[in-house]
Amino acid sequence: MFIAPYFAFAKKSFLGRSAYRFEHFMSILNTCLQIFIFAGIYIALYNGRSEVDGITISMVSTNFVLSMGLKAVFCVDDYFLPSKVWDGSIANEFLRPVSFRGRMLAENMGNAAFNVIFHFLPALIISAVVIGIYPPENIVMLLLFLLSAILGYGVLWGISFAVQAAAFWAINIWSLSTLKDVFVNVLSGTMIPLWFMPEWLYEALKLTPFPYIYFTPVQIYLGQLSYRQILQQCGIQLVWIWLIYLLGTLLWKKGQKKLVVQGG
Amino acid sequence: MKSDTLHVMAVYTKTIMKAWFQYRTDALLSSLTVFFREATGIIVIYFTLLKFGNLGGWNIYELLFLFSLLFLTYGIMIIFFTGLRDFGKTVRNGGFDRFILRPRGLLFQVIFTNADWFAAVGHGGLGVALFIITAGEVGIEWNLRNIVYCIFTVIGGVLIQGAIFLLLAALNIYLFETNSLKELFYWNMRKFAGYPISIFHKVIQICMIYVVPFAFVNYFPAQYLLRKPDMAQYPAVYMYITPIIGITLYMLAYGFWKYSLRFYKSSGN
Amino acid sequence: MGSFIDVKNISKTFKVNKRAAGVSGMIANLVAPEYEKRQAVKDISFHIERGEMVGFIGPNGAGKSTTIKMLSGILYPDKGDIKVNGYIPYKQRKEYVGSIGVVFGQKSQLQWDLPVIDSFELLKAIYRVPEDRYRKNLERFTDMLDMGSFLNQPVRQLSLGQRMRADIVAALLHSPEIVFFDEPTIGVDVVGKESIRDFIRELNEKDRVTMIFTTHDMQDIEKTCKRLIIIDDGTKVYDGSLLGIREKYGTTRQLDVEFSSRCEIKSIEKVEIRELDHSDGRKKRFVFENKEVQINELMNHLLTNYDVRDINISEPEIEGIIRKIYNGEAS
Repeated sequence: MFIAPYFAFAKKSFLGRSAYRFEHFMSILNTCLQIFIFAGIYIALYNGRSEVDGITISMVSTNFVLSMGLKAVFCVDDYFLPSKVWDGSIANEFLRPVSFRGRMLAENMGNAAFNVIFHFLPALIISAVVIGIYPPENIVMLLLFLLSAILGYGVLWGISFAVQAAAFWAINIWSLSTLKDVFVNVLSGTMIPLWFMPEWLYEALKLTPFPYIYFTPVQIYLGQLSYRQILQQCGIQLVWIWLIYLLGTLLWKKGQKKLVVQGG
Repeated sequence: MKSDTLHVMAVYTKTIMKAWFQYRTDALLSSLTVFFREATGIIVIYFTLLKFGNLGGWNIYELLFLFSLLFLTYGIMIIFFTGLRDFGKTVRNGGFDRFILRPRGLLFQVIFTNADWFAAVGHGGLGVALFIITAGEVGIEWNLRNIVYCIFTVIGGVLIQGAIFLLLAALNIYLFETNSLKELFYWNMRKFAGYPISIFHKVIQICMIYVVPFAFVNYFPAQYLLRKPDMAQYPAVYMYITPIIGITLYMLAYGFWKYSLRFYKSSGN
Repeated sequence: MGSFIDVKNISKTFKVNKRAAGVSGMIANLVAPEYEKRQAVKDISFHIERGEMVGFIGPNGAGKSTTIKMLSGILYPDKGDIKVNGYIPYKQRKEYVGSIGVVFGQKSQLQWDLPVIDSFELLKAIYRVPEDRYRKNLERFTDMLDMGSFLNQPVRQLSLGQRMRADIVAALLHSPEIVFFDEPTIGVDVVGKESIRDFIRELNEKDRVTMIFTTHDMQDIEKTCKRLIIIDDGTKVYDGSLLGIREKYGTTRQLDVEFSSRCEIKSIEKVEIRELDHSDGRKKRFVFENKEVQINELMNHLLTNYDVRDINISEPEIEGIIRKIYNGEAS
């Protein structure tokens, strides 16, 4: 079956993660600490007020816990493809019977699965106990949250792939990858909840893929969206995945051609 | 210090600079990236304060002044302590074996064979710009006393951060990976330090003052110059002891480093 | 006591993480990792005199590199004593390392992005090499190794052979009295290997520099070293001359005989008879221990009883002998 090799890649990367036990516990702690930093700041900002612009402090905390947690799950190694371009081993990848992009996605999903179980859930439980978060609106919303989170992952993964494919032309992927992270972090709600962005900026952001990575799932979880709106938002997520997929394919094909022309 | 030592330091620095200038555009791009990445913290504070007005009684300029001291000290610190920050990599790729085989002090070699000029320019540039802009806005009077205070405090702040890196480097001799420890004890603490510590939970305040004394890098020095009311809950002497804390912590870290060296067990092939 | 290099009963143990396979193994490792002790070097002793050239060989993970690392002061031995040139390497590090040079074939000490000469200048400062000695050494070595053409090229542009030559010179600029080579010819092409061997041999003969080698390539040893130390599984299994190893272990002989026509030979006592391929029974190999069977008796027996066209005696290859020693077949 053609899905089998991809499953093997995913399993391999899932299992490979156990090697650094200590590192892993520390990274859970790190995620929690970052959540606490933001929660602490917002408690001070609220300064006893029950709500600001209709947003309660618990909603803010929930936003940070979920988006930081998802961020820990979604982490993509931006140097996977570039390192293969630099050492030339990318040429071998073209010859394999499995799709390279499929393999990258599979390995990354193996990683993400590991992160959900061993990183997201512990961090969620710890921070829920320490700072308190809202439970999901209802079970349907929880499932829709999960669906939307998976779509958000698709958006982020696509962006990462496009950045990685730039390695065919650019040497300094580090800058590109770092700038991408900057945009994602600031504009998708992991550092400042998008409710508190200036109105004009928030409207402008809706035209970019960034709010659809973390903020859409969070809004669904909090029950801020009607079913109609959820349908619409998930539709936009799909459109973004498709557009970014096309961009990735274009870069990948052009890069491959460039490599062949130059003879590796 | 022997004149010979100074000569080697100069040759090391020349070599690093030369390597850095091999890729000029690349270097410029990387420095700019660091600048942008770090500037996001400022943008976030700006947007947040636009909505909320103040944070624990601190206005936007006061907060950014607090922030600028972090960048300033990091920019200077990283010129000297990159080797300690990246020590884990040096151990793993066998670089430390090579240091042992050369007739010079080990810490001396770790420190002087590496300097991250991207970070120095990125952080330092941001720090200087932010410091100059905000110092004017918050109305700091530049008399001799304040200037001397700032110089000593910056040196102290550099040493505190250097000491943390040195401790982590020493731990690297026992542990294969210390990136997460660094993330926890340095980078996360630094994120807390970007805000007035008085707004956080007591446990975190204690951490920032007595465990990883980042509060002495920027919070207490900023308090000396700004005198915000939240200083009342801490002993006033804390505003003056940054250099002492820096030197003491560095000495302690150095002792631990010296002690740890005998346990070094090469990376092996 | 009193040799140039004295190594007495050294041992070194490492702790390694034991990792179980599969999902359950992964979870077990996350919760409670198990460690096992691996003794890399077990009670090794030897003496080396000034000006000797000694080859260390052994299979992967035998403890060669660990031994070299202890000799050069990188690792503390858990047990035992090391004294080199009057120094205890791991205790008097700074004084000691000024008198040694170390080449790691797998890890360059050159500055990757800079021209070779920049690395040399840096080493000159680090080792406090006086200007005139530096000039003299640089000129002599670059000439011997034919490096003039790439001295001003960045290291990242060099071929492996060029890089290795540059690395060897880098380890010699301060005129060390002892040089350790850890796999100095790994990955280098045949011509490059030859020039490196010639250089090492000349340096040893002319300057009386003491040299210690580890290698996988038996040719390195055969062409340079007179003395050989074989390490296997952390213990020293042989220490002596290259000739001695033949005498001691290379006792098997083989006699290849071509007969004019196909013939059947009945078994001969203590001799193993093998049919050689594609010969229709005309070519046979006789293998025996030279202690047990007199070679002239065997030849006489064959020549008188059969119609022999050609005869050829051969000694075993040194590589084959050493492989046998690793496998524990030789005794």
